Amino acid sequence: MNALHFELAKHVELVSVSAVFTPGTHVVLGHERDGTHTLVSLAAGMAPPSAGRVHLNGAAPFSNALLRRDIGALCATEALPPARTVERALALALRARGDARPVTRVLSAAGLAHLTERCCATLSTRETRAVALAIALAHPKPSLLALHEPLSLVPLVREEFILDALHEAAESGVIVLATASRLEDASRLGGTASALERGIWLPAAGARTLTPGVTLRVQTPHAARLVTCLAEAADIDAVTWAGTQELLVRGSNLERVAQRVVSSARADAIHITALRQEFPALEAASTTPATTSQPAPPGSPQ
Amino acid sequence: MIDARGGITLGMKIGIARLRSVSAPLTLVLACTGVFALGVFGRRSDPSGALDNLLSTPVLGFLLPVLAYLVSERVCAGQRLDRSADSLARHGADRRAVVLGLLLTAALCTALSAALLALSAVFTAHTPGSLAFDVRSSVSIALLAGVVYALWFGAASLLGKRGGGRKWALILDFILGAGNSALAAPCPRAQVRNLLGGEPALGISQAHAWLALIAIGAVCALFSVTRTSE
Repeated sequence: MNALHFELAKHVELVSVSAVFTPGTHVVLGHERDGTHTLVSLAAGMAPPSAGRVHLNGAAPFSNALLRRDIGALCATEALPPARTVERALALALRARGDARPVTRVLSAAGLAHLTERCCATLSTRETRAVALAIALAHPKPSLLALHEPLSLVPLVREEFILDALHEAAESGVIVLATASRLEDASRLGGTASALERGIWLPAAGARTLTPGVTLRVQTPHAARLVTCLAEAADIDAVTWAGTQELLVRGSNLERVAQRVVSSARADAIHITALRQEFPALEAASTTPATTSQPAPPGSPQ
Repeated sequence: MIDARGGITLGMKIGIARLRSVSAPLTLVLACTGVFALGVFGRRSDPSGALDNLLSTPVLGFLLPVLAYLVSERVCAGQRLDRSADSLARHGADRRAVVLGLLLTAALCTALSAALLALSAVFTAHTPGSLAFDVRSSVSIALLAGVVYALWFGAASLLGKRGGGRKWALILDFILGAGNSALAAPCPRAQVRNLLGGEPALGISQAHAWLALIAIGAVCALFSVTRTSE
């Protein structure tokens, strides 16, 4: 059985990561600065750990070319093999993997056929990553797919294509290790979730499936009145004070929550000075989901 | 089993792709033009020793190391030699084979450039009646020196976080290689100077200087391969 082991692995941002990934989907929540990119690089054998061990099926991917052939990877920043066109660059990559399939087939499957004749130098960072994702997902028989933020490439690559490919891979015994900086992405990727924060591994979330949710930060001089309006509103799960003139409004659907806040404010002639989405801290991944209580600040009308 | 020959071919392909630009042939043409101009002036002032002076100082003593450095920098894409193979190694190519392919490309390119520079020097500053001999000896020294310099800079590219060893190898070759002490012996510059009739390092004969150059190249190639992970 496939198994990817991190044994006290240290490298750049990562601080002694110890984890085991077995076949199936594993989502790691965190930003690039938290070490998600480093985690993927180590898993894919693109860098050796500065301390500790990383091994896939008993061998270190960095020093085993045969093992790397069975890994499909997508990094935070990608560089295609040097060639004039995408087609030639991909031909080199597929040849290195021992894959005899035509380049057009690989790109067409990901809906990127229009990039075939493009000059590599003219590709944007996102397009280069999309091509790298197409190479990774087109692997005929991988043992590991290590992908950094695969859903950040939607809509350049269709979401259904990515999710279907990952689901199929996980079902057929492949270790799918994907990172996500948004809880929504993590929940769409499914599987078990863990997190990285400032290089520290947070395994507590490993057994829990993430609950999707959105939070809006609302700034208004009439915060107390708005709380009253939103208290019984549909689509709103919780309203929390974040300051004298700031509220955090939680719900499951961003559009509906925003609409509800605006319509409630308009109905009561409440002036809203700012409204923006609040991205949850990574601790949210390792603790219980947000409660629906509505604590009132001292001295508030509630 | 990973196909090593396939890895070498892939390494050569990416090496050629990295070298392909307008600036590479332009630099060579400019260098050849400079050598031609220096040859014309040298022949006017000292017809008998013009070729030796031209080959030992500007051509193989200055232009060749600088060209070899630039080729190595370009082939490695400004990185460490082993990391410059990552774009293929990540897909399963043997890093050592790719590195060998990159070294081979750099060696061929540098050797051909050196031969062209030597030919430019010979055709402008050769002594009358000895053209064939001058071409044969100068080109053979230039070819070997080109290969050795490429391997020298290749090995140095494995030092430093971003291959900064290359720069130090160029500086050391210029400073240490200019002398004739034991420190000069491992530098290609000292052996090339010996082959061109200059002062030998450690009193090594010209015949042994050929072997010394080959040994320097072999050690550098071995160092490059053994210091690179599969």
